Amino acid sequence: MTAYILKRIVSAILVTIGVTIVTYLLLHIISPSPGRAVLGLHASQKAVRSWNKTHGYDRPIVVQFAAYFWKLLHGNFGYSYKEDQTVAALLAENVGRSAYLSGASLTLAIVVAMPVGIWQAIRRNKPSDYVLTGAAFTLYSMPSFFLGLLLIQAFALSLHWFPVEAAQQTGILQVIGNIRAMALPIITLAAVSMAAYSRYMRSAALDNLAQDYIRLARAKGLPERTVYLRHLLRNSILPMVTLIGLSIPALLAGNIIVETLFNYPGLGLLFITALQNYDYPVLLALTLIGAMATVVGNLLADVALTVADPRIRL
Amino acid sequence: MPPVLEVSHLSTHIQLTKTVVQAVGDVSFHLDAGETLGLVGESGCGKSMTGLSIMGLLPNGGHVVGGSIKLEGRELVGMPGAELRSIRGNDVAMIFQDSASSLNPTKTVGDQVAEPVMLHRGAGRKEAHDRAVEVLTLVGIPRPKERLGDYPHQLSGGLRQRVMIAIALSCDPKVLIADEPTTALDVTIQAQILALLDDLKTQLGMSVLLVTHDMGVVAGRADRVNVMYAGRVVETAATDELFHSMHHPYTQGLLASIPRLDQDNRRRLYSIPGAPPDLTSPPPGCRYAPRCPYADEKCQAEEPTLVEGGPDFTRNGAGGSAPGHAFACWHPVAGPVVLEAGEDQGGSEGPGQGDALLEVDHVVKEFPVTAGAILQRKVGAVKAVSGVSVRVGRGEIYGLVGESGCGKTTLGKVIVGLETPSAGKVRLLGRDVFAARGRELRKARRDLQMMFQDPYSSLDPRMRVGSILREPLAIQGVGTRQEQDRIIADMLREVGLPANATERYPHEFSGGQRQRIGLARALTLEPKVVVADEPVSALDVSIRSQVLNLMRRLQRAHGQSYVVISHDLAVVKYLSDRIGVMYLGKLVEEGSGDDIYHRAAHPYTAALIDTIPLPDPGKERAKTEVGIRGELPSPINPPSGCRFRTRCPRAEQRCADEEPQLAAFGAGHVAACHFPLQEPLEVASAGRGASGHAGSS
Repeated sequence: MTAYILKRIVSAILVTIGVTIVTYLLLHIISPSPGRAVLGLHASQKAVRSWNKTHGYDRPIVVQFAAYFWKLLHGNFGYSYKEDQTVAALLAENVGRSAYLSGASLTLAIVVAMPVGIWQAIRRNKPSDYVLTGAAFTLYSMPSFFLGLLLIQAFALSLHWFPVEAAQQTGILQVIGNIRAMALPIITLAAVSMAAYSRYMRSAALDNLAQDYIRLARAKGLPERTVYLRHLLRNSILPMVTLIGLSIPALLAGNIIVETLFNYPGLGLLFITALQNYDYPVLLALTLIGAMATVVGNLLADVALTVADPRIRL
Repeated sequence: MPPVLEVSHLSTHIQLTKTVVQAVGDVSFHLDAGETLGLVGESGCGKSMTGLSIMGLLPNGGHVVGGSIKLEGRELVGMPGAELRSIRGNDVAMIFQDSASSLNPTKTVGDQVAEPVMLHRGAGRKEAHDRAVEVLTLVGIPRPKERLGDYPHQLSGGLRQRVMIAIALSCDPKVLIADEPTTALDVTIQAQILALLDDLKTQLGMSVLLVTHDMGVVAGRADRVNVMYAGRVVETAATDELFHSMHHPYTQGLLASIPRLDQDNRRRLYSIPGAPPDLTSPPPGCRYAPRCPYADEKCQAEEPTLVEGGPDFTRNGAGGSAPGHAFACWHPVAGPVVLEAGEDQGGSEGPGQGDALLEVDHVVKEFPVTAGAILQRKVGAVKAVSGVSVRVGRGEIYGLVGESGCGKTTLGKVIVGLETPSAGKVRLLGRDVFAARGRELRKARRDLQMMFQDPYSSLDPRMRVGSILREPLAIQGVGTRQEQDRIIADMLREVGLPANATERYPHEFSGGQRQRIGLARALTLEPKVVVADEPVSALDVSIRSQVLNLMRRLQRAHGQSYVVISHDLAVVKYLSDRIGVMYLGKLVEEGSGDDIYHRAAHPYTAALIDTIPLPDPGKERAKTEVGIRGELPSPINPPSGCRFRTRCPRAEQRCADEEPQLAAFGAGHVAACHFPLQEPLEVASAGRGASGHAGSS
């Protein structure tokens, strides 16, 4: 088990290093130096060259990358000339809010999707199953920005139940406390995953319902509720564990849209701003974080599966 | 004394999307206290549905539409759910066929056995686990306390089946419904489980409803037998009476279709033509009439009822049948079929020594077991095949038998080139198959074809039968498209399928027909050797004999060599000229069918033959021993010396120290044992090493 986790961590590090190299190179091709962007369009060639020289952008790419990587190892993500701040400070300021949005959405999606999927499997091909299936497909096929706009129109502008904007407070605890303001962004981000998870949950539960051990559980004389809770649930969740781990990058992508839509200052909004400003150090750092989240999500899913499924022993 | 369980006029229907399957129709029987009632029939005859109806566990869409089920006078049909649940698992318990899928993979054995005790007895966790230890001991699980925390996947198949029995017994049921309790198990384990069920029945005074397709299983264990066909009980009698003087032609045909160990394999097997009727629209008269050789207009018009002495007293006079012997037939037969109907198929050309077509020479196949995180170290190997040598002559059928895990399937795969041997050689016509590369390898493959066990998963469901049969021809570049069409049409005619089968998909065919397609696919390239891996074990008895006859007929017609792999010694003996017995990766004995059956030299062979349930109550009851003790050792660490010694009653120290070599016991009869049951021919031949080819001496 420990050996397995070690192995996975090593491979996670290797993957992250690989992503770093590729992303760095790609961004370097687009923009070899931030000099022009920092000094403005009217600065002379000479000024840009001398800025490059002072800041080390005239060195060979390998050396530049080595320097960047060395700083990265020390937690230094570079400097955003646009924001006039270190990238690390920018990340630290926004990461909590994004993590809260993602985490809350993920939890909401799981909490809703699991019982819904199981319920649908139990009542398969009955009207309630069809209605829920229809709802799931509608949500799944709807782009989140569109769903967000619909929700804002209905519940913020028309009914005034929720504010149009997400919470704007800086402290994470205050943001968490502001449930009314966070409700719409969380629901919007959760909707797609919720729909997908409920479909998977339904089919996993259907597979398990057809298994002989469910019949044996009934043969023991257990009431249906107990059969579902004690025998069906855990076995049906197993395939979900991997799925949830794999969906973490999608959640990050969702953050970009939802944060923009609700004007919520998190990593997603930071990414959009950086994109508009050609703020490459920030883009680079965010891409790396995305890569790490993906790798860590996978690792966690695999470890969680070994805990949940006694047949998998590492 | 009133019967414990009384089923009368039970009818169960299963509602599908558009049609209704009349799974059980007007079935009546009773089960007395302490009695074992066998419920036999082929798949789809309604035997399992009858069991599930009693339990109230019918699948979706299933309903009891008529009749009554009384347990000690209490009516179960229409009983409210909660009341029925208090009986289920408590007064009536059920065990199922497949213990691998019937136990919850994520719950411990202890929890699963304790669950019904907590439910029905209101016991606490501690108390229920104590009871679990008690019943696990009862079903013969060694060190039951240590097993409580185990998960099902950590147990062997035999142990899992015992756990399932323990679950059923945990609340001392009055009636135990055993639905194919041993079908998924090896014969040696099957014998142990059946003996256990018998013991428990006597010990606990239960009544057992033994549902099975295997006439051999009921022969030795049941007091009475109900034979079911197409949702009806067609005959019921005390076991001896049924086996020796059956009156229903179906019972007669079913028993005659089973290949027997004492069968003269030059004769065709008796086989029932056709297939069971579709129960969504059963035929109006007797449901067996379309397949029955005695059927006339009356049979097709009027359905006979199950009556003691038969429905037509005037005709058969009822004098010939014992009390309690009822059957539903207008034209009853008397006793077993006289086996003169089968014409002589002509003997085999004999083991064609001198020109061995296929030579398997000291083949070893090991699958590595690895460990370690980053660097995968090889820590061991599953020794699937450990130095087996076999020679198959031209036109010879070589049978390979053994329990699951003995390496027979791996050896078959090595022969056709699906697995590469770790050591040793396979030669076809003297040429090393594995030395070939590229075009030559492809050519070699053409001569070695395989017929698979499962007719459902071995045919691509998205390919039409025409394409399935054409594919090998196309790969090998045989002929033009027109020529291929002709080969396919000929092949279909030979295996007895209609010419328009080419346009249809595999799911449109029955299991038996699919196995015919599988055989046709193996034969289209006119290979020199066909390896048939468990060719009929997925088929029902009446279909099985059709396919076996077909295989023999085609083999005689084309003169190919076959390697037939099966756990079923009777099937192998019927088909084969010579038989090799494998145990844990080793060939332990080889000889003709008669050598193996009448003059077995290896204790394993003898025990294996002894444990096979025979469809003969007298012989079955006469068996006193359970056969082979214990379970198959791990092929990762096989026992030293003779691998069978851990389960052998004759084993001594020498067996652990020294590996026995194959020694000759007759012409073409060799066995590897230090303490054989027969005297070896000559001592000198013991030194010939493991390669000892049969018959060459």
